[in-house]
Amino acid sequence: MNDLRRLRDRCAIVGIGLSRFGKVPGTSAMGFCLEAARAAIEDCGIARDTIDGVLVLMPAQMGEQHGWASRVAAYLGIVPSFCATVDMGGATPIGMLQMAVLAVESGTCQAVLCAFGTQTNPQGVIPQLFGSPWAIPYGDIGAITFMAHLARRQMHEHGVTSLDYGHIAVQWRQHAMANPQAQMRKPMTIADHQASRFVAEPLRLFDCCLFTDGGGAFIVTSAERARDLRQRPALVSGLGQVHSAELIRPWDDGRGGGREAGEQAFRMAECTPADIDVIQIYDAFTPRVVHDLVHYGFADWEDVGRLAASGQLTVGGRLPCNTAGGLLSEGHLSGMNHVAEAVRQIRGTSTTQVPDVALSMCTGFGGAPHEAPPTVAYTAAILRAP
Amino acid sequence: MFTIDKPLPAVTEDGAPYWEATRRHQLCVQRCERCGHLRFPPAVLCPKCLATEHRWVALSGRGRIFSFIVVHRPQHPAFFADAPYNVAIVELDEGPRLHANVVGCANADLRIGLPVEVVFEKIDDEITLPKFRPCAA
Repeated sequence: MNDLRRLRDRCAIVGIGLSRFGKVPGTSAMGFCLEAARAAIEDCGIARDTIDGVLVLMPAQMGEQHGWASRVAAYLGIVPSFCATVDMGGATPIGMLQMAVLAVESGTCQAVLCAFGTQTNPQGVIPQLFGSPWAIPYGDIGAITFMAHLARRQMHEHGVTSLDYGHIAVQWRQHAMANPQAQMRKPMTIADHQASRFVAEPLRLFDCCLFTDGGGAFIVTSAERARDLRQRPALVSGLGQVHSAELIRPWDDGRGGGREAGEQAFRMAECTPADIDVIQIYDAFTPRVVHDLVHYGFADWEDVGRLAASGQLTVGGRLPCNTAGGLLSEGHLSGMNHVAEAVRQIRGTSTTQVPDVALSMCTGFGGAPHEAPPTVAYTAAILRAP
Repeated sequence: MFTIDKPLPAVTEDGAPYWEATRRHQLCVQRCERCGHLRFPPAVLCPKCLATEHRWVALSGRGRIFSFIVVHRPQHPAFFADAPYNVAIVELDEGPRLHANVVGCANADLRIGLPVEVVFEKIDDEITLPKFRPCAA
């Protein structure tokens, strides 16, 4: 396993920005990128010419976009010396954070802007059907089928239930109701969850994330430079990522499940799961939350359901999670909103604020589980209050 | 009437022998000539030892359901009329796991561990899709 301890607390997230998000027809993915990037620049007050790195998440809905990150930089009037479009799906925000830290620490960049924008109904672009020729002909198409298989195995092997998933969705909704920006602010009960229709059984509609138009951005620079900026910096204390070939189980009986991403991050930050004050889990679907709670060492299979059912995943509980409402109820900004919320928890500005946060964690999940061979990318980051 | 065709696999050089085999109602995968590893999906080299030498071998076509889902809201319009339909991940007796529909079984009767055997469904002159049906253990 890698050893990133020399990078601990060397860099910080200094600026965060989200664009308008929700059902926002008419604004392009590029438009959202720029809106979020400007918000992040204004948030920290960094001089634009200090930004010499630009990383942008490839918007999946649009398929291949040549030079996407360079074009974002050009529209922002930035001439980067380090610039890339990053294609790790929902693992990308933390993947970009890691690349940004490496770029700053190596001296490649002074400050790196990481950005994302998506329009779920893009005009003039042919939506691409994603999935492998070994799955699509059977109607196994899209992100949800993979997650439904994951849920089926969690239920079969570990006795996880649809009610456990429901408690997660209901708790996240309560967090969203406190967040004026969240897309879904209508109260949800466990009965509502259980009554919601199946999309891909065993998963129901309320197990699924939202469709969101919008964007997010954050800015990374050295901890030293961060001191001169407007906001309280969120020091980057731990980082981890692992990419494996797996279809629910490691494809080739190799390593899988993403434990290594957590282990790398905890090792770099020199802390344990018990030290984490608040976490934003990549919750594109409810079984993902169960997965990360167990695989990153926050719960055993035996008690993960109880943890969700007993109100332990909010302020005052054992591990407050997804305090802005998550991808399930705040909006699906591919996890850029999770990075923003993890930073807010360090700043003390969340709408569901955990008191005295020292360590704020965030996970990512992506890759290409529907392609051949099926691959998944797991990322984890731990932010520390200065 | 306007219909949308179901997407069919593009036959590439690596995968062509797989589809040639399904046309003769055989389920074949590549076996590495150097280390013996059975690999699926098809690829030009072995992920275990990187050897390119391989032989296509016929499998028993028998296995068990590793996972199954029932799709109620398909992500592609060509499947709307079939919903709710199942998609299983079948673990073959020889090891490889693959996606397929289970036929000849009500969705409510599907369960993990159910023994299944391959059947073949001809789509057109090029593509015959392997599917599975319940069988005796």
